[in-house]
Amino acid sequence: MHRRFVNLVLYVAIGGIMFPMAVLLVWAFAREWPWPHLFPTAFTARGWLYLLSPSTGTLPVLLYSLLLSSVVTFLTLVLSLPAARALAFYEFRGKRAIEVFVLSPMVIPTTAIAMGIHVNFIRLGLADTLWGVVLVHLLPCLPYGIRILTGVFSALGDRIEQQARVLGACRLKTYLYVTLPLISPGLVTAGIMVFIVSFSQYFLTFLIGGGRVVTFSMLLFPFIQGGDRHLSAVFSLAFIGTVLLWVFALEALVRRWVRKGQYFYL
Amino acid sequence: MNGERLRPYAMLAPALLVQAWLIFTGIYSALQQSLGYFPAAGLDDFSFRYYIEVLKNPDFLRGLLFSFYIAFVSSSLAVILGIFLAVLHIHSPQKDGLSNYLYRLPIIVPHTIAVLLVLSIFSSSGILPRILYSLGLLSSESAFPSMVFDRAGVGVILTYLWKATPFATLMVYTILRNTNPRLFEVALNLGATKWKAFFYVVLPLLKPAIITSFLFLFAYAFGSFEVPYLIGPTYPRALPVLAYTYYVSPELSVRPYAMAVNIIMVMVAFLLIYLYSRQIARAGW
Repeated sequence: MHRRFVNLVLYVAIGGIMFPMAVLLVWAFAREWPWPHLFPTAFTARGWLYLLSPSTGTLPVLLYSLLLSSVVTFLTLVLSLPAARALAFYEFRGKRAIEVFVLSPMVIPTTAIAMGIHVNFIRLGLADTLWGVVLVHLLPCLPYGIRILTGVFSALGDRIEQQARVLGACRLKTYLYVTLPLISPGLVTAGIMVFIVSFSQYFLTFLIGGGRVVTFSMLLFPFIQGGDRHLSAVFSLAFIGTVLLWVFALEALVRRWVRKGQYFYL
Repeated sequence: MNGERLRPYAMLAPALLVQAWLIFTGIYSALQQSLGYFPAAGLDDFSFRYYIEVLKNPDFLRGLLFSFYIAFVSSSLAVILGIFLAVLHIHSPQKDGLSNYLYRLPIIVPHTIAVLLVLSIFSSSGILPRILYSLGLLSSESAFPSMVFDRAGVGVILTYLWKATPFATLMVYTILRNTNPRLFEVALNLGATKWKAFFYVVLPLLKPAIITSFLFLFAYAFGSFEVPYLIGPTYPRALPVLAYTYYVSPELSVRPYAMAVNIIMVMVAFLLIYLYSRQIARAGW
C-alpha cells in the first residue's frame, strides 16, 4: 500500500481523537469566545479557582470518588482473581455457560437492572449508602476484572507455579511469591480498567446513591447538561487528570513491589 | 478427588454469587413491577396490560426504533472504521511510539466527556461551523445544520463513534498482529487480487473479533442512558431515557410502564447474548 496514504489516514485518525481534546483545553481557559471567533477573546481561570476553592467542596468530592472507586477496584480484583484462575486453568462442566454469564453485564443494560434492584436496595437499607453504591458498581466492573485476568492467566500458564510446588513451596507461598509477581502487569491493566469503569459511572451512582453519595462524575454531569462549556471543560480535564494520576500511581506501586518489566499496556 | 473436581466452582463462587444476585434480583424485581405487582403504590395484581399499553404507545415504538437505529449505525460504522484503521496500522512503518498511546485515550475518557467533545465541535456554536464560516463556506451561525439534539441522532452516533472506533480497532488489530502475514502473501502469489485476498483470507480470520465487538458495542449503545440523555433529541427518546422518565414520575402508578420498557430492553439483551454464545461456541471467547 502507498506509505503516504497510510500515514495520512493514521494522522487523520489521531487528529480526530486529539483535536476535540485540544478544543477542550482551550475552553478550560476561555472566558469569552463569541461566534465566529476561532480563538477566545478573553481568558480566565475561573473554573480552576472554582475547582480548587475550599468553599465549593469540590476537592473533597474528588477525593471521596477516588476512594470509592479504589474500594470497588480492590473488591473487584479480589473477587476476580480466583474466578479468572478457575476459567483459565480448569476444564469443568458448564464452563461455556459461565463464561457467557460473566460477560453478561456488558450486554444487559445496567440501567434496567439498577431501576429494578432499587426497591430491594431500599428494603435492605443499602440505598443512599456508600456500600450500596460500591455493591452496584461491582456489576459493570466484574466482567472487566474477570475477563482481563483470565487472559493474563491463560497467557502465563501454570507451569511455573507447578515448578514452585514441586520444589516444595506451599500453595500460599507459591501464590504470594510466584503467581502474584508474574501476573502483576496484568493486575495493573485490570486495575486501571476497573477503576475507569467505576470512576465513570453516573447513572448507577446517581440512582442507588440517591444524591447522598456524591461522586465527581455527578458534579461533572450537570455542567455538561447545563451548557457551561468553561466549567465542563475544567471538570473534564480534572477527571482525565485524576485517572492518569491513578494509572501512574498504580504502576509505580506495583513496579516498586516487583521491580522490573513494563506495566502500562492498557 | 471429589474436592479437586469442585475446586473451580469454589473459586468462581464468590464473584458469580455477587454478580448473579445483582442481575437476578434486578431483573426479577423489574419483572414483578412490570406485571403490575408493586405494593408500595397499592398495586398487587398480575396482568400484561402494561406491556400491551407500552407496545401500543407511539412514544415507545419510536424510541425502540431510535435506540436500534443509533446502536446499529454507530456500532457498524465503528467496526468498519476499526477494520480499516487496523489494516492500515499493521502496514504502518511506525507501529510503536506516541500514536500508540494517543489512540487509547478514548478508552480513558468517559461517555459524558465524549458528549462534551462532540458538542464543542459540532454544535451550532462549535468549532466546526466557526471554521466553515472563516473559510467562507457558511453564511451564519444558524445556517449550520443541527447535528446535536437532532432527530437523526447524529450527535449521539458521533459520540459513540469517538468512543467505539479505537476499541474496535484494537480488537481487530490484536487478531491481525497474531495471524501470519504470509497467509495474505500466499493468496497473492496464488493469483488472488489484493481485494480478493482481503475478502476471502483476511476477513474470515477477523470474523470472530468483528462479530464480538459489534455485539458489545451495539449492546452498550442500545442500553445506556447518559449519551442520548445529554445529546439526543427530546423526541424520540431512546429507551433507557424513556424508562427513566417514567421511573421518576411522581405518580408511582406509572412505575410499571418503566419496568415494562426495562424488561423489553433486557429481552433484546438476551437475544444478543444468545448470538454471542453461538459465536463463542464456534470460535471461543
